[in-house]
Amino acid sequence: MNRFNHLPTLKVDSASKIAFVYKGKKYYGAKGDTIATALFANGIRIFSRSLKYHRPRGLYSLDGECSNTCMEVDGIPNVRCENTLLKDGMVIKEQNVKGSAQNDMMGFIDKLDWMMPAGFYYNTMHKPAKIWPIAMKQIRKAAGLGTLSPDFDMPGRYDEIYPTADVVIIGGGPAGMTAAIEAGKKGLRVILMESRPWLGGCFEYRSREYQNRQTLNERAHQLANEVNALDNIRVFTHTSAVGVYNNNLVTGFQIGQEEDPFTERYLEIRATSIVVAAGCIERPLIFDHNERPGVMQAACALRLAKTYGILPGKKAVFSVGHDFGLEAAIELHDLGLPIACIADIREDGQDPFLMKRIQAKNIPFHKGWVANTTHGQKEVKAVTLSGIDGLITKKVNCDLLVASAGMTPVTGHITVNQGKLCYDSHTNFFLPKEMPEKMHAAGTLLGLTDPVSIETSGKLAGLKAAFDCENCSIKDIGDAKKELEALPGPARGSKLVTAPVQGRKSFICFDEDTTIKNIKQAIDKGFDVPELIKRFTSAGTGPGQGGIPGHNLPLYVAKYQALQDISIKPTTVRPPLVPTGISTYAGTNHKMFKITPMDDMQRKDGGIFRNIGVWQRARYFSSDLSCKKEIENVRSNVGMLDGSTLGKFRIHGPDALKALQRVYVSDMSKVKEGRIKYSAMCNDDGCVIDDGVVVKQGENDYYFTTSTGRAGQTVEWIRYHTRYDGWDFSLVNLTDSMGVINLSGPNARKVLEKVVDIDVSNEAFGFSEYKAFKIQDTIPVKAMRLGFVGELSYELHVPSSYMKAVWLMLKDAGQEFNIQNFGVEAQNVLRMEKCHIILGQESEQRTNLLDVGLGFLWDRSKTDTKTVGTVALRQAESDQSRFRLVGFEMENNGRAPRDGSLIVDTKVRGYVCTARDSFSMNKAVGMALVEAPLADIGTRLEIFEDECGDERIYGKVVKMPFYDPSGQRMKM
Amino acid sequence: MALTITCPICGKRNGYEFRYGGEEKGPRPDEAGLTPEAWCDYVHMNNCVAGVQEEWWFHKDGCGSWFKIHRDTTTNLEIEQTEATE
Amino acid sequence: MFLKNKPMWGKRTKLKSSYDVVIIGGGLHSLATAYYLAKDYGITDIAILEKNYIGFGGAGRNTAIVRANQRTQYNVPLYKEALDLWPVLTKELDYNLMFNNCGNLNLMHSEAAMKAARMNICTAQFHGVESHLIDAKEAKELVPALNISEDITFPIHGAMFHPPGGIVRHDAVVWGLAKGAAKKGVEIHQQTEALDITTKNGKVESVKTNMGTIQTKQVMISAGGYSAALINSMLGIRLPISVLTIQAMVTQPLKPILDHVVSSGAYHCYANQTLKGEIATGAHMDPWPNYTTLNTAYYIKHQAEALSEFLPALRGLKFMRIWGGLADMTPDMAPIMDGNDQVEGFFMDCGWGYFGFKSCSAVGKYMAEFIAKNECPDILKPFNLKRYQDHKLMGETAALVNYSPDN
Repeated sequence: MNRFNHLPTLKVDSASKIAFVYKGKKYYGAKGDTIATALFANGIRIFSRSLKYHRPRGLYSLDGECSNTCMEVDGIPNVRCENTLLKDGMVIKEQNVKGSAQNDMMGFIDKLDWMMPAGFYYNTMHKPAKIWPIAMKQIRKAAGLGTLSPDFDMPGRYDEIYPTADVVIIGGGPAGMTAAIEAGKKGLRVILMESRPWLGGCFEYRSREYQNRQTLNERAHQLANEVNALDNIRVFTHTSAVGVYNNNLVTGFQIGQEEDPFTERYLEIRATSIVVAAGCIERPLIFDHNERPGVMQAACALRLAKTYGILPGKKAVFSVGHDFGLEAAIELHDLGLPIACIADIREDGQDPFLMKRIQAKNIPFHKGWVANTTHGQKEVKAVTLSGIDGLITKKVNCDLLVASAGMTPVTGHITVNQGKLCYDSHTNFFLPKEMPEKMHAAGTLLGLTDPVSIETSGKLAGLKAAFDCENCSIKDIGDAKKELEALPGPARGSKLVTAPVQGRKSFICFDEDTTIKNIKQAIDKGFDVPELIKRFTSAGTGPGQGGIPGHNLPLYVAKYQALQDISIKPTTVRPPLVPTGISTYAGTNHKMFKITPMDDMQRKDGGIFRNIGVWQRARYFSSDLSCKKEIENVRSNVGMLDGSTLGKFRIHGPDALKALQRVYVSDMSKVKEGRIKYSAMCNDDGCVIDDGVVVKQGENDYYFTTSTGRAGQTVEWIRYHTRYDGWDFSLVNLTDSMGVINLSGPNARKVLEKVVDIDVSNEAFGFSEYKAFKIQDTIPVKAMRLGFVGELSYELHVPSSYMKAVWLMLKDAGQEFNIQNFGVEAQNVLRMEKCHIILGQESEQRTNLLDVGLGFLWDRSKTDTKTVGTVALRQAESDQSRFRLVGFEMENNGRAPRDGSLIVDTKVRGYVCTARDSFSMNKAVGMALVEAPLADIGTRLEIFEDECGDERIYGKVVKMPFYDPSGQRMKM
Repeated sequence: MALTITCPICGKRNGYEFRYGGEEKGPRPDEAGLTPEAWCDYVHMNNCVAGVQEEWWFHKDGCGSWFKIHRDTTTNLEIEQTEATE
Repeated sequence: MFLKNKPMWGKRTKLKSSYDVVIIGGGLHSLATAYYLAKDYGITDIAILEKNYIGFGGAGRNTAIVRANQRTQYNVPLYKEALDLWPVLTKELDYNLMFNNCGNLNLMHSEAAMKAARMNICTAQFHGVESHLIDAKEAKELVPALNISEDITFPIHGAMFHPPGGIVRHDAVVWGLAKGAAKKGVEIHQQTEALDITTKNGKVESVKTNMGTIQTKQVMISAGGYSAALINSMLGIRLPISVLTIQAMVTQPLKPILDHVVSSGAYHCYANQTLKGEIATGAHMDPWPNYTTLNTAYYIKHQAEALSEFLPALRGLKFMRIWGGLADMTPDMAPIMDGNDQVEGFFMDCGWGYFGFKSCSAVGKYMAEFIAKNECPDILKPFNLKRYQDHKLMGETAALVNYSPDN
């Protein structure tokens, strides 16, 4: 096909060829083509088949309102070819066809539409019940458009940016550009977003005179130059705004150009003010076979010629309802498109200037006429026109029917931000009535058609936005308002929705194959508001969302119900306003974990790491997941554990003790310097949320630890529960700035004394004591003698920067004893043998301090401290139906049950928290939460494991702890 | 929706920097004589106002302070204090 | 057979001045309760009052997942019965509810999570509900698109596979129950807003609406996310509820790629493929009370990040639509079903969070029994309001729920 190559409006360079593969064959397009225009230029007219009826579908609009041009491109399904730029080597395939879009073996379904009235699924295929699973399989196979391989690897690089702006302008047409210039001239930081690859909007492709012999196209370029000359306007072209949220947050995505380092990038912009100048799309004209390939919208036909240099047909009929349609006819006629006739829905009101030109060109013109049906097998061969009353008809041969009922304002950016629309009978638009705060509308979406009015509305909106940024006077706005009022206002819109047809093959939604007849059926069944009709008929739920049914749906519903007052609202438009890739939203990699200072050293030592909460921790140090060697080494020798993830805090200031009294159940005034106090925090229900140790460093100066999981919430918790008291204390989270090494085992002292200068003998540094000292006069250490794993054990708290040094010193000193690492799982077993609980493992939301056996921590004399949780503990104390934590061992030397198994009789009575085959005890032991009546020593526990069938295993409640009950080993 | 919250120390910030801390219910009640009903009412029960409510927020990714704001739960927008107390 | 286009839930009629039972809210729990009151107890003089249109709230906004793999023995039997009722209702209502019992695959990302899953599985198996713990490789066989490599934020250790669960067409349940209830004489009044409940001597007396006052002795509020505010404003009963916005979204339609419902607690994300071929996915709630059903930029991005990791093939898809609904959350993630306790003749069925859809059929049946006999059925007893005062939270969640520091 010969393409125009010298129109000033062209965006393609037909001299630069781009090769691509379509259905296995090589084709060429021009640089600047979209995939769809390249295919169209190559004579392809049928792009796809529809979802339900497999009707042939072609190029209808160029802005992606429907899925007609959705194809698989380079393995990516559902790519909207009409606004995807063609790239060298692209491989393009058709979707949802058996055979090809040209010859689809499923095409016969179109004849079976009588079997499929609105909602037919709900009334069929369930009798008898056994046919439903079979039918469902067929439905699943038939539904859906593209295919995606389960191992598909999305190519490309995805980026994200978070700019801020004073003013964001959505739409780079004449109104948007004028708004940008006005706000930009005030020195504001402006972001201008335009979804096409260039600025210009509805001026860009039109040659009509603007003023003084300047064409709209030239005017668009002039405005774009002005925009580009202002440094404080940041222009994002090929960028769709897909979401607008309150407090003026705008999201969108930009498609990368060849030179960009990203395929697509996600934008999230916080703005002070927003101008929406997103323009209009065309309101589809509904008649029989209104989506047969060969039917297209006016701007589509015109832009094919003027932007892409392709004549859209050989012989055309126009059936339009607005002056833009007449303008398109004249321009296309001048470019050499033969026009059989123009049917204008309107009886009157046409622009006299355009009428004069049509007469001068001898184009037959029918006022009050409309396309009634198209003819042809797969493509349009002829059209029957009729009067809008349907009485007289006339058949005209053509291969192109330009059909457009009216315009629809693109108001999605306003309504997703809670702006309200209201029907306006002059324009026949649903116009923004209540604008969201600091958001302003401009341009053709207000119904304006006069070029100067469009720009002036942009100026007014730009000034209003500047006012929001406290950068414009009320007077300037008043002047601009007057200026706009003196210009032509919104044009009268045509009211027709459908041609005078029954509507069996008149499609109101292309993507879902919803016809006018379906809408009538739905309304008759009681689905009488657009939202319900949408759900019942699926209209507007396809890939193009509300693009095609849009405002036609509420207009038609009002018409069918003969409602005088159109209070009916369009269905809710939802983000993303343009389908947006999951890869695009995901942006760059967000995989983030905290690592301890010992991370790499433990990895070198063979640590197997797991993500535990926000951290990565070494869980095992060998492939033996029972950790036998690690455990035995700690029990008989000495091991090292990286405990740096523990929460670590300092609290100090005049009211520090009061704050501790509020959150800890123990009497914290009894904490003595040089001693360690173990205590717990409860929530208001008395349930244990945290345990840890507290040491006193001075008067009202304490250092305390929390469990790893609570570290992030501890400051919040303590401040929350003291928020009314006005107490004076400082609370510092030292979790990341301090590391912890746990040195445990009978040989721990021998290792430690080689490293530190202080006396670490049992007499000088006994169990449950605390010492602060320096190693080599340099490294400050807080040392605690604890016994979590049940052996002689030192916990060394060291600044993170010194962690490696201390770790290496200990390792070095321990070499002669063959010191080994141990991981989180070994620690888990070691502490379980001692029946030291881990919150979340031996407790849950329901279990309180008393249930888990920590009641001894609670100081009941503390009644004036308003300690969190104690009221509930007092009230629940006598309740015998609560869970209790018990220790158990297995009968007959049986293996340990799996964690999470149930304790049952005829009902569930509890569950196993942690149980292991203990190497230290030489038997299987564990802890379980059971109902109080089962908690007595000696009670037989019936254990129900997953997949056990009728088999049960049995344990018996025994005394805790299992290992070293007298605690000799940790005190030695 | 894109909540912003005005922290008394850090100013107006993205809502995701904060954590919600419940409806304003007044100081912790004294333990003496607190009935289970009164305890439960203080700890668990909410007014669930569809409209403006006074509520607590914590600036977790910021200064770490607890403070109260007024917010309209039907629009999810913060209401300026002066306006709400009028 | 297709030409009969009668209104499915009766012609619009005028509100009468009295009814035996008034139900506030036109969602699934209301419709199901009315249906069972009429069917099982012959009580048909019922008015359902719906401010918007039936199915406006959570009924039409949930992503239609059904399952019976909860944590406690109080919940599992209720959800099991609900699951068993889908085919029964399809037949009874003569309306295809499109139950696709494709099974649910709940991913576990740590040893600790596997233990937690085992408890749920044991509870299910103990109650005769099929549910299994499987490893990552088996999960991949069920869902080939899963990424079971170690190189993701939360590597997949295994999964809880629950074959009897799946997806039901949520709109069909609304319309089917409305049709079934209306056929038995229940009146469904849309665009009718309940304004107040008046009581006398601790007994329900009447319901005021924008269409006039109704005398009634029994009234139930089951208005989804709006319940707590209504119950407080009408009767002064405060509830342990926080109403949050929960969001969901769908991608463009696709030929079959996911044969099961896949969900992950660690990623805060679930995904399933609808019969139409869209991937429906969601789960996030902004953790503060909010009566808007607005969606957020934050969440759609988060969802994309999550799916990119554990179902990376889906990176080739585009999101088409995101929406929000309300979830009325309780501190123990279990609902409140109670009646006659606070006010005689007043029943409440709320606090369902995001479990309202899966439970509606069974709950309708038992709430109907409760209202008809004025006596709480045993299966509903653990869900009373007093449990919070008695420090008897349900334990439906092991971990503390994280949307408010006061619990």
